[in-house]
Amino acid sequence: MHSYVRPNQYVAFRLPSDATKILKVVPDTMIFLGKYGTFPANQIIGRPFYLTFEVFDDASENNGHNLRLITAAELHAETLIADGEGDGDEPDVNGESLPMRTNREIVDDGSAQKLTLEEIEALKKESTGSGREIIAKILESHSALDQKTAFSLAKYTLRKRKKYMKRFTVVPMDVSLLTNYMLQEKDAARIMELRDELIGLLGCWANVHHAGNSPLDGAVASKPRGRYLVVDETGGLVVAAMAERMGILYPHDGEDDREQQGSDDVPSTEGAQGEQQPASRHPRHTHMSAPDNSIFLLHANKQPNMSLLKYFGYDQDNPSETHPLYSHLKPVSWLQLLEPQEDTIYAQEPELLTSDEIAALKSSKRSTYYRKRARWERTQAVVNEARAGGFDGLVVATLMKPISVLRNTVPLLSGSAPVAVYSPVIEPLTEVMDSYSTARKTAYITKRNQLGQRRQEQEKTTGAAGIDSQDPFYPELAEEFYVNPTLLLAPTLETSRVRSWQVLPGRTHPMMSGRGGAEGYIFHASRVLPTQQTIQAAGNPSRKRRRMDTGATTADSSTGADVEMNS
Amino acid sequence: MPSPFLTPGDQAPLDSLALLHLRRDQTVPTILRAHDDEGLGYNEGKVVNTRFGSFPHSTLYHKPWGSQIVASKQKPKAAVAASSGFLHLLYPTPELWTASLPHRTQVVYTPDYSYILHRLCVRPGSSVIEAGAGSGSFTHAAVRAVFNGYPSEQQQPETQQQQPPKKRKHGKVHSFEFHAQRASKVREEISEHGLDGLVEVTHRDVYEDGFLLNRDTSTSPSTEGASASSSTSPKANAVFLDLPAPWLALRHLTRECRQQETAAAAATSTPQGGIQSALDPTTPVYICTFSPCLEQSERTISAMRQLGWLQIEMVEVNHRRIEVKREKYGLEFEGARGAVVFPRTVDEAVDKTRTIEERTRRFREVMKERDARGDQLPLGGLMREREGEDALKGEAQGEEGEENVPGYKQGRLIHRTEPDLKTHTSWLVFAVLPRDWTEEDEKRCCEKWPAQRVIEEVKPKGKKQLKREERERKESEKQ
Repeated sequence: MHSYVRPNQYVAFRLPSDATKILKVVPDTMIFLGKYGTFPANQIIGRPFYLTFEVFDDASENNGHNLRLITAAELHAETLIADGEGDGDEPDVNGESLPMRTNREIVDDGSAQKLTLEEIEALKKESTGSGREIIAKILESHSALDQKTAFSLAKYTLRKRKKYMKRFTVVPMDVSLLTNYMLQEKDAARIMELRDELIGLLGCWANVHHAGNSPLDGAVASKPRGRYLVVDETGGLVVAAMAERMGILYPHDGEDDREQQGSDDVPSTEGAQGEQQPASRHPRHTHMSAPDNSIFLLHANKQPNMSLLKYFGYDQDNPSETHPLYSHLKPVSWLQLLEPQEDTIYAQEPELLTSDEIAALKSSKRSTYYRKRARWERTQAVVNEARAGGFDGLVVATLMKPISVLRNTVPLLSGSAPVAVYSPVIEPLTEVMDSYSTARKTAYITKRNQLGQRRQEQEKTTGAAGIDSQDPFYPELAEEFYVNPTLLLAPTLETSRVRSWQVLPGRTHPMMSGRGGAEGYIFHASRVLPTQQTIQAAGNPSRKRRRMDTGATTADSSTGADVEMNS
Repeated sequence: MPSPFLTPGDQAPLDSLALLHLRRDQTVPTILRAHDDEGLGYNEGKVVNTRFGSFPHSTLYHKPWGSQIVASKQKPKAAVAASSGFLHLLYPTPELWTASLPHRTQVVYTPDYSYILHRLCVRPGSSVIEAGAGSGSFTHAAVRAVFNGYPSEQQQPETQQQQPPKKRKHGKVHSFEFHAQRASKVREEISEHGLDGLVEVTHRDVYEDGFLLNRDTSTSPSTEGASASSSTSPKANAVFLDLPAPWLALRHLTRECRQQETAAAAATSTPQGGIQSALDPTTPVYICTFSPCLEQSERTISAMRQLGWLQIEMVEVNHRRIEVKREKYGLEFEGARGAVVFPRTVDEAVDKTRTIEERTRRFREVMKERDARGDQLPLGGLMREREGEDALKGEAQGEEGEENVPGYKQGRLIHRTEPDLKTHTSWLVFAVLPRDWTEEDEKRCCEKWPAQRVIEEVKPKGKKQLKREERERKESEKQ
């Protein structure tokens, strides 16, 4: 949990303009927030999050300290006073003795402000008081200030404050913050315009959670727990969100208590070395080897794009061994999953050398040998595990056709495991819904039963030994149906949007503007294990049975009849 | 017992909750039993009867999760597969439970709680306070979010505690409910669901008595001070208040708990500092209140401002389920169920009218013919002769159209919002309370991280600036 600012950690700075800036807090360096000021990083390291500081320019007299902590009371007092009144006190709106001020006298050409741009610039250069005097001067020089209504004066002051106050709030890095940062400050398309509320829904519907720690739970221990399949084309945001839910995103998770005990003397993490310490404390698994609580990341290229994970201390090119994702994140390419023999790393085993041969190698060759050997073993283990299936959930945010992802991943899920698919636009998901429609399920079952009967008859006539397979394969069926529609139960499509409101005494209303763009949709369903028995939905059995006997012609006409039971 | 919510395993175990999915939005929660304790007289043991058939528990337990189960005929001795009816055996998840739980109060649904838990930064190992357990939907979602191991494991590290203090915090939900019956019902459910030790249900009026644990609430307020000393803090990282008046509970959620002290001190003479804060002193604390009315939220926010909560934000969640279907649309669907029989294009409309015009014209011809002949030939025969041609024509048209397409692909794929819409659930007010930060803390930190210690000025330089510096450097070298 985010207890305090750790050295060499990415944190976010919320600025008066409501913009967010994400920076790495390196000890003994300066932090630059553009026009909002500059200060030494050491002044925020070790401090709690969500504190607001004011930046003073003149630091020389105070041992280099140029930050002042602003208390919550001060912040709120400013909001409420600047808003022209205290709680529930609305003199302008309904005061009968005072004439109601309106904007009828106000000239809209900006001539009321007597300060010129040059004068303001000069003020900025002189001032050291974190912008306070500038704002006071500007308000003073406004010729029509007394004509403003209280609300409009509040808005004016607020606008000026956003522009000139040298202030920031330190906010911890998490998935929610990164999502909003990417949406508002960066390229929203890079994260497929995924919003906070949809990330929340995605994780819930996919039932992504920590698997627990004990391997000794009696009967349950047979199967590794909490293994999720993830398809993520948002640069790592979805992986980060799922890892956050599984407790494997933050390298310092669970250490805070100890740190706090130690904090009686000093915050104990010592710069860069601090990050190395946990390795000795927790014996970790080797690379990609965690049995439980792991993410299998399916990717479309040679390497997955996980660039956003850097904000959580995980560099995909050079992952730190102490990061939980090091052992819990297992990337598998689609080629490795579907045609592993065509993947060089998987298929070509580096020649196994005897210990004598290894001893004879030059040291650089030897390390290359070990590295290649380890990589092959790792890839073999991860790919084989992925192909064996039995996953506990599937989360998809892909640029590809989602239905093609489902075709290849749904069979890998264990029974009752949920599926959740995100798409910024609805069309790919209506296609998915249609592919798992009740009508299609009925047609599929009817056709399968026909094919089964035909095969039985053939086997009788030819005398071939019937292969009594649990799930016989019919090429005709696979040809007509791109996916097996009976594998998913209760396919559902939904969307959610959060609207934020301004709440101030007498002025509560929804925010005036927001972000448009993709609406964002979630598809979810549960993987089921359909019985191979010929069964009918409950209803009118006699009528149904007759239909079955007549065979081929009923496939289409019976579609609407048993809607009740099939979804 | 492992909880089927958190670690369901491969198959449905006995004496554990399973969800019997009958159809969309119709799921029967049931505890699987080998024997019929209620003695309803079935030889097969316990039986679930639904409108889709009867399902003896013997056909359900020890089956893999996700299995499709065929209904059974009511036969003595053993269950015999019926000819129709089935259900799917699912392990419970907070989402499925929310959809199937017995309603006692208004339920916090998935779109709301998913967003709330995400915003409250509830993660494995967190400690969550929930006030107003209500029907328990949020409780189940919260326990999934905080789960990082069963409490039985907790005892192992405790025994080792003499040696290096290994502290791995186990996630826990502290649930408060002031309605006695509801509280006991929730407690019962939690126990049935294998969540004992992960969720602690307390029957308490939190407006009055706050959030500290192990406090004997049955005793009168006068003894409160005495028992307060033995109370422990839930050390909450996140708080969810689904109460009619959240602002009354907020005063118990401060860092130093002044209010509690004064309240308790009024009755007894509690020593100062005897009552601890219910919040985790080492982390920021996130809060969400859930109120249906705007006035409630406004009051809550005003109280939050007074108590030093920051980043206060109010939102509402709008959620829609979308139905997708194939809409049969066009003239050829005449007689099909649910079809819109209407021309698809202007051309079709013109064609159709033209056909009708043609028919009328022919009818007039026939009439004229008959009148001219003056005989009493049956009208129907002549018309049928003509219409036979039409019918043939129509069939020919149909064949090149949709005739070969299977039913599930016919029509146009459309989507629309589902007819029943929840247009408002509640206002969600979010806020955060930072850790306490005293001047001593600041002083210590200053010593540890002296501000004047700056190794180098690593001001990020633009490309232009770098080039200019390079040029200046070269020039100075020349000189």
